[in-house]
Amino acid sequence: MKKKVLSEQALYWGNVSMPKGFEIDTGKLSEDILHSSFTNKEFPYSKTWNMLNTYIIEHIGLKYNLSLTNKNSWGSIYKPNQISKSLFNANLMDLYNSPDFTLLYGVKVNNCFVEIHYDDNRRKGKSWNIELKNNEFIMFPSTNVFTISNEQKENLNFIQTIVYEYI
Amino acid sequence: MAHFAKIGMNGKVLNVLTLDDNDMLDANGNSDERVGQQHLEQHNNWPAEMWIQTSYNTSANQHKLGGTPFRGNYAGIGYTWDDENEIFWSPKPYSSWVKDFSTATWKSPIGHPPELTSEQSSQNQAKTHFWMYNWDEENQSWSLTNLRS
Repeated sequence: MKKKVLSEQALYWGNVSMPKGFEIDTGKLSEDILHSSFTNKEFPYSKTWNMLNTYIIEHIGLKYNLSLTNKNSWGSIYKPNQISKSLFNANLMDLYNSPDFTLLYGVKVNNCFVEIHYDDNRRKGKSWNIELKNNEFIMFPSTNVFTISNEQKENLNFIQTIVYEYI
Repeated sequence: MAHFAKIGMNGKVLNVLTLDDNDMLDANGNSDERVGQQHLEQHNNWPAEMWIQTSYNTSANQHKLGGTPFRGNYAGIGYTWDDENEIFWSPKPYSSWVKDFSTATWKSPIGHPPELTSEQSSQNQAKTHFWMYNWDEENQSWSLTNLRS
């Protein structure tokens, strides 16, 4: 008896364990998110962002033999008690140029939850709920619809999104 | 051109980068690994001590060009840096295998496979067969297989 997995919807998550003294500067990232959000400008690539991106690419590559290259990145702010609309980072009209994976990184978050929707063969409309914590990431296929919720009433939640394709 | 392995928190090699020889010269013009490490820290935002120089021409503790082997093996992604013995170890091929420090390689608990017989060697040379020993982890033994069958 044999088995072949034809398709996989895998969820990767974990924390970004940088060496001491080289931690991700979440203050800088949240400033950049604020600035790009309020000026409506593209997210500025910085040394801090590059450290995060390099960490993800190298560690996912090492552990899961998945060779990633980033396609785009942006920051988002969620107000207290805000639930995002349904988010989807693939373009069904242009799958060739769509990313393979969406990565969410908790820059400054508190009670932040990500609900990822998926189908399991004929069992449609299933979802997986996972908390996104500070300095942690969640990565999943860009073809999955997801929502982000800020489930507390005091603080803004800052999230960095990076979309990747694998090569 | 020098090569440096970027070491992760668990001692695993995350990446291997090249460095211009001029970027690792000290004030006296001598090549110094620490200078290279400082250069890499500055330009790659990763601590200097987590960049370890590796030799492109070293494999299984032998130098391909007849020079002095350096740190066992040329580092590759997924290799493990052994700080105590100054060796880059390739991933362990089987759980029962043990380290052979003299050759910086892994070996089976019963040693290397037997030599092929002269008949098997001649058949390999004639390309009628391709005899090869493969490790059988379940039975902890070497099994002879003809890959051309």
